[in-house]
Amino acid sequence: MSDFPVAGYHGRVLEIDLTAGTARPRPLVPETALDYLGGRGLATRILCDTIDPACDPLGPDNAAVIAASPLVGTNAPTAGRGHMAFKSPLTGLIGTSNSGGTWGAAFKATGYDVLVIKGASRSPVMIDIAPDHVEILPADHVWGKTTHETNDILAAGSEPGHPIRVLCIGPAGENLVRLAAVANDRDRVYGRCGPGAVWGSKKLKAVRVRGKEKIAIADKEKYQSGLDQALYLMKQAPITKRLMRELGTAGLIELINVISMLPHRNFRDCLHREEDVERISGETLARTLLDKAGSCYLCPIGCQRHTRVAGRDGKEETGEGPEYETTILMGPVCDIYDLPAITRANYRCNEYGIDTMSYGGTIACAMELFESGLLTTKDTGGLDLSFGSVAALEALVPLMARRQGIGGRLAEGSYRLAASCGRPELSMTVKKLEIPGYDPRASYTQALGYMTSPTGACHLRGGYAVSLAFFGGTKEIPRFSLLQSPIAIRNMQNTGILQDSLGVCRFTGFAFASDPWARMVSGVTGRDFSMARLEEIENRIATLERVFNLEAGATAEDDLLPARFAELPIVAEGRERRVTAEDQERMKRDYYRVRGWDERGRPTPETLRSLRIEGRGR
Amino acid sequence: MRIKARFFANFRDLFGAREREIDLGARRTVGDALDLLCDTVERRAEIFAAGGLRPHLVVMVNGVHINSLQGLDTGLSDGDTLAVFPFLVGG
Repeated sequence: MSDFPVAGYHGRVLEIDLTAGTARPRPLVPETALDYLGGRGLATRILCDTIDPACDPLGPDNAAVIAASPLVGTNAPTAGRGHMAFKSPLTGLIGTSNSGGTWGAAFKATGYDVLVIKGASRSPVMIDIAPDHVEILPADHVWGKTTHETNDILAAGSEPGHPIRVLCIGPAGENLVRLAAVANDRDRVYGRCGPGAVWGSKKLKAVRVRGKEKIAIADKEKYQSGLDQALYLMKQAPITKRLMRELGTAGLIELINVISMLPHRNFRDCLHREEDVERISGETLARTLLDKAGSCYLCPIGCQRHTRVAGRDGKEETGEGPEYETTILMGPVCDIYDLPAITRANYRCNEYGIDTMSYGGTIACAMELFESGLLTTKDTGGLDLSFGSVAALEALVPLMARRQGIGGRLAEGSYRLAASCGRPELSMTVKKLEIPGYDPRASYTQALGYMTSPTGACHLRGGYAVSLAFFGGTKEIPRFSLLQSPIAIRNMQNTGILQDSLGVCRFTGFAFASDPWARMVSGVTGRDFSMARLEEIENRIATLERVFNLEAGATAEDDLLPARFAELPIVAEGRERRVTAEDQERMKRDYYRVRGWDERGRPTPETLRSLRIEGRGR
Repeated sequence: MRIKARFFANFRDLFGAREREIDLGARRTVGDALDLLCDTVERRAEIFAAGGLRPHLVVMVNGVHINSLQGLDTGLSDGDTLAVFPFLVGG
């Protein structure tokens, strides 16, 4: 147990310099921990202190920072997630990505709170972290292998009570695919913003962790009262008690279609035949492909889908997924309703280490370009890239991962692909990150979330507004309210910031709000983390991310949706809906004000002062 | 007046069907329709609680959530579609 003045932390940052080949523990500054908490907050602060936001994201001056939180190492529900911050090679802005499974908890057990990876190695390496020693080892024997193969080789010898956990990239990261992911526990993924390519540019294949270092809990009674409350509320809410376990995230698909929010054909419309939607529903998944549900570390919700599907060669394949987003972006957005095909393509993405969301969005964009004649079979090497092409969906994963043929252009993501054809407006992205499976014309609150998310179009970092209109409880607002959306989405974004900074899962938010977390964090640390103080931390982190992005070159013009959403309407609740330029400007301006930023979206000096953001803030 | 009730997720098992057409007779509201549909103790218990709907329910008329209308007092017309979901989340 450490003598760091705040309980719940080890008080140590592990700094790896892959250029110099060194691994050095550094002390964690207590004030930084108290101001930024852990996870996303702490990783972002340390990233800002480590790199220049203007650096080349695929160069040695970028860094990947992974942070645990003071709740990780306790028995708080779902408290085992990790958060990674880096400069994104896809967007050129802050990359922030989150993953469940068990790796986050295993990393905390090594005796470090934060891992900083700087520089670049000349040859493939892995990092081995245990409490008594840290080593940078050659990784030639696993370079080129899939995430599954790598995990299985490097985690060999792991046993209950002495777990060895692996975080690694697949061939896509090695080949600097801009949408490459980093995987842990085989199928849990730091998916968005391209962290895999950052690792690949450093020739970093894997980080292996093991240990049993524990943290102290300062006020056990207070911690327990928060824990009891959380567990009780999770048992009361049907969604966390059993519905996620029964149907997984795909259970939402039919409901989203009923409210006209289910996107289709690269977000042209939200029109589907009901029998087609049924083919990809959570129930169809449960009935035809599900083997069993599964859980991340300390999670009673159990939303993981362990599935099996017939391979194209007739042999059965197994894996995890597909989740909601994967099913939509590789499904109806590509005009595909073939669940086995989507599942196989999902498995391939997991093995090669590619973000399934950006993959689906990029393929859909390629399909629209193909339909318009801007990509032809000459470009695709004979592959038919029409909408609905199941063969293309599956075949393009390895081609993208290896940058072979058309795969090389797809590996750049949909924005650069469309721009290379002279039609960047056909890429359904914000800040070059592919839009998730909820049409923004069906919820102006969600539209604003996509526009203002620090990472680009994201329902996790942008704020999950999808259910606000019908399951918001005291937070509920109408989905087409321009007036109420800015504060509502700011609040949803802040909730996400807190969950990401505590290493806990979004889905807990559907059983309870922040009060149990405030009690647990106060109990663990022995400090007073009131709701007000937590809100200040959330605002601090949000503004720091904004500062990073501005220094990386973002402007207010980037906080906009693609033209399609203003020009092409959908029909929802009996009326045509589009998100006009005026609507976007109005919501944006109000959002900036709510955040304490000026009319150009720049944090004001008073905001920076009151949030005490030093360093990156000038 | 006849309306169509559609069930999703675990409500399909609970109501024994994906869809049911019901005749409301002289009754006209969403509350009336749900009252008619909940013809067993088990069904009542899943749908109703303390004078209202159980909190984790989503009920829509022709794709519009009843919270945006008049709640359980929302009036129905011949041929309307009532959708009953448990609340779920996506990723």
